[in-house]
Amino acid sequence: MASGVGTATCVSAQVQVPAQDWAAAVRAAARLLSAAGAVSEQYVDRCVEIVREHGPYIVVAPGIALAHARPEDGAHALGLAAVHLAAPVRFGHPSFDPVDVVLAFSSPDRDAHVGLVAALARALTAGLADRLRAAPTDDAATALLREVTDDDR
Amino acid sequence: MSGRKGVDEDLEVLTICGVGMGTSLIMRMTAEDVFKQLGIRAHVQATDVSSARGMHADMLIGQAMHTEEFVGRGPVVVTVENFIDKNEMTAKILAGLESAGWRAA
Repeated sequence: MASGVGTATCVSAQVQVPAQDWAAAVRAAARLLSAAGAVSEQYVDRCVEIVREHGPYIVVAPGIALAHARPEDGAHALGLAAVHLAAPVRFGHPSFDPVDVVLAFSSPDRDAHVGLVAALARALTAGLADRLRAAPTDDAATALLREVTDDDR
Repeated sequence: MSGRKGVDEDLEVLTICGVGMGTSLIMRMTAEDVFKQLGIRAHVQATDVSSARGMHADMLIGQAMHTEEFVGRGPVVVTVENFIDKNEMTAKILAGLESAGWRAA
């Protein structure tokens, strides 16, 4: 059953998203959060800058990246987004390139997202990325993310 | 030492990443599951690299690009690649525990 936080989470996903490089892929995922009203445009820029500053560590598993910035970078609400890229891109990760699923999240403070990220970790372990890859439409992919936010506890 | 780490007292563990909110948190979830399955007492916190420099820890878990600077500086350093792979993290945590003589019987 959805928790109060889970039902309030902004959720958005797109499939067959074109991106020429990793920065465009990160932007595409983070822009879904800004389009949903969860973050500012500045947050989208920061998601890219953080990878430039800290390296491609956001590639958490083969083919999967998890983009985000800090609450003070313009996060207004809890949000979860995903893009399945039309063609994979390289992040420069030593083992897990190329990446074709980019997730993004936002949290209004340093604690609000803990349940969401825990639910996301469970979902990724259970094969969320492959289900996103197989999703035929944006709505189908968004429904998969909604299952994650409903599991936020 | 009053107690054995991970048996009589918590092993203090930090999972680290660039920001301390996303990937380190995913690692924390995976590590907590691994310690639970291994029957090892552990207190796991997720943080960013710069905060970790000023924190005490018995063990530090992260990707090579973040853990390299901590090697040889006190904590047992566990370098993982896949943040959601419990098998990989279990093997690497056990190797780290053995190297420090903290492995629970």
